[in-house]
Amino acid sequence: MAIRALKNYELSRHNSYFSAKFHAMASPCELLFDTRDQSLAEWLSEKGVAEVQRIEEKFSRYAKNNLCFAINNADGAPVEIDDECYRLLSFAQTCYELSEGMFDLTSGVLRRAWKFDCSDRLPQQHQIDDLLPLVGWEKVRFTDRHIQMQPGMEVDFGGIGKEYAVSSVSDICLHHAPNVSVLVNLGGDIQVTKPRERNLPWRVGIENHKQVIPIIQGALATSGDAKRYLLKNGKRYGHILNPKTGWPIRNAPSSVTTHAPLCVQAGCLATLALLSGKEAEQFLKNQDVKYWCTRT
Amino acid sequence: MQLKKTSIKKALFAASCSLLAGNSVAKDWDFDAALMYYGESDRVQAIEGIFKANRTLKDDREFSSKLVVDSLTGASANGAVPQTSAQTFTTPSGNGQYTAGAGETPLDDSFLDTRVQVAAQWSQPLGEKYIVSTGANFSNEYDYQSAAFNSSIGRYLNNKNTTVSLGLSYAMDSVDAVGGRPVGLSTMVVDEGQFANAEAFQAAFDATRQSGGEDGKDTVDVVLGLTQVINRRWITQFNISLSEVDGYLTDPYKVVSQVDTSGLSVNQLYENRPGTRSKQAFFAQSKYHFEKSVWDISYRLTNDDWGIQSHTIESRYHFLLSNNRYIEPHVRFYQQSEADFYTPFLREGESLPEFASADYRIGKLNTYTLGVKYGKKLENGREYGVRLEYYSQAPQSVGVEPLGQLESLDLYPSLDAVILQFDYKF
Repeated sequence: MAIRALKNYELSRHNSYFSAKFHAMASPCELLFDTRDQSLAEWLSEKGVAEVQRIEEKFSRYAKNNLCFAINNADGAPVEIDDECYRLLSFAQTCYELSEGMFDLTSGVLRRAWKFDCSDRLPQQHQIDDLLPLVGWEKVRFTDRHIQMQPGMEVDFGGIGKEYAVSSVSDICLHHAPNVSVLVNLGGDIQVTKPRERNLPWRVGIENHKQVIPIIQGALATSGDAKRYLLKNGKRYGHILNPKTGWPIRNAPSSVTTHAPLCVQAGCLATLALLSGKEAEQFLKNQDVKYWCTRT
Repeated sequence: MQLKKTSIKKALFAASCSLLAGNSVAKDWDFDAALMYYGESDRVQAIEGIFKANRTLKDDREFSSKLVVDSLTGASANGAVPQTSAQTFTTPSGNGQYTAGAGETPLDDSFLDTRVQVAAQWSQPLGEKYIVSTGANFSNEYDYQSAAFNSSIGRYLNNKNTTVSLGLSYAMDSVDAVGGRPVGLSTMVVDEGQFANAEAFQAAFDATRQSGGEDGKDTVDVVLGLTQVINRRWITQFNISLSEVDGYLTDPYKVVSQVDTSGLSVNQLYENRPGTRSKQAFFAQSKYHFEKSVWDISYRLTNDDWGIQSHTIESRYHFLLSNNRYIEPHVRFYQQSEADFYTPFLREGESLPEFASADYRIGKLNTYTLGVKYGKKLENGREYGVRLEYYSQAPQSVGVEPLGQLESLDLYPSLDAVILQFDYKF
């Protein structure tokens, strides 16, 4: 039953909990509150939705005149950044190092050549060759105050931004309501702030794996999209690109979901698994994390 | 690629902790700059610049500092009664004269000052259950210096829903009155040609000045506070404070007129106040967060051994508008009773009281303020605001029967002022 349809979220009462639905980061989003207190649910919804919007406005590569736009349009000049941006860049740096250069926030420019529309239209090699000089995290210089890139290069926070928002909203809910279990779900990336009463699991559907996953504690994140690929001569090209070659990772699963304490951790592990290609499952086993891997 | 080691997970988990660390803590400095104009109709004009710098560090430690510079010009009432004919007064320094026209409230127009105030405060948690704070405040103006120090300790109870606190502060003020401190209730010497020469006037003027005695004052304040969170939306606060002031509490520039039965002002006596003052105050505040607004209302009661009792009711309503804009109406009512030794004038021929003052600020007084603030939060947490307020001060009759010509004159002149302030947070 929808109780309130404010302009930025829709709150509904269920048997033992409230849900707030909204749309952000190009995805359907949902917050679940294990409480019967409507004003608490509203209060947390306002704070949570505001935080998601704040992060989206600041780091979205689709927005104009935000920090991401300033960085990507600096034309070689240094751009002033704040502490939050510095922490995201530092995290990306760690992911880059751990993946030996495969996790690369600058690889987004390759999308200019690749359109994963399920067709057979592969790009020409010269198109990829033209873009490769603009890819390479090692060419990015940053300190806690500034970032500087070569003209034409772009960073895309999409690889970590949504998971970061999930963890950040969870922190806010935990801070304001330390005794209430809240599930934060931004387009399938999920974190639970604390277990529910009597350790009841939250049940969430993960579209890519066509199953409902019960979650008591921790976070789930999914990388990969089974609907984004190209198919030519019987060969499937998934949308995860190798930043070194500019071509899709071969034999990568179409989708990987992992479980970790925090969403930023789960998201990064899932992405690193995809980047491992045919060794994705082995990578996940070695990391000793719970995972769901789909190959099509 | 070398993604086979489980250490990747550990490194990743460690990195994600620093990614999310301190997300709820404000980083770097927050600055707040404000410029305020205060203008009384025909009297004091003031321009005040305020600059605040705050820094919140990890673990809720907080440093705040403030610099205030204000400049006052204009005239203020000297306490004398108006007359149906012009009056002449000696300036506080003794080096000049000023006049008040027939029917005019006598104003000392030599009033001009610049004040600089610097304050710094540090607060931090002490363990899980306590918060401590300490600070210092210095201010300097032409004839007045003040240094104050404060400390407080707060104890969280009831899952941080209740905070009880105890604060202490001590202030040392020194007064360096222009022209020296007058002898209490001595008669102002006005040169109307009766002196043989300037030296004779100076000798008479000097005779009205104190040579010894205290020239400063010490203030000790104790504040007992209780902050109670009623629920997520509602927070209340209660304070009880005691204040003891000791020293020179007289205003060296104010006089009390001594009038004859026709209401004619025959002498101007420099006012004289007791050397101690004990004050008690009670304060209660409630803040309620509605869906899109915050309502803040407070009440203050003060009482002192000078006989002044005051009531203040103040309320603000903060409305959030679209696009991060807000509007905040503000109203404040203030009412005080007069000090026991307040009198609009003294009668000639009656024995002089020990203490007397005609300063409207310790007389019976009602004031109200009506204002509105408009502000907008910008990207990056910056914010600007504009505040416009109207202030009205209406001294009240204390029931002293006006004599002769005073009947037709305004012994309790009221005053209106406008306050305009711009501020910018960055």
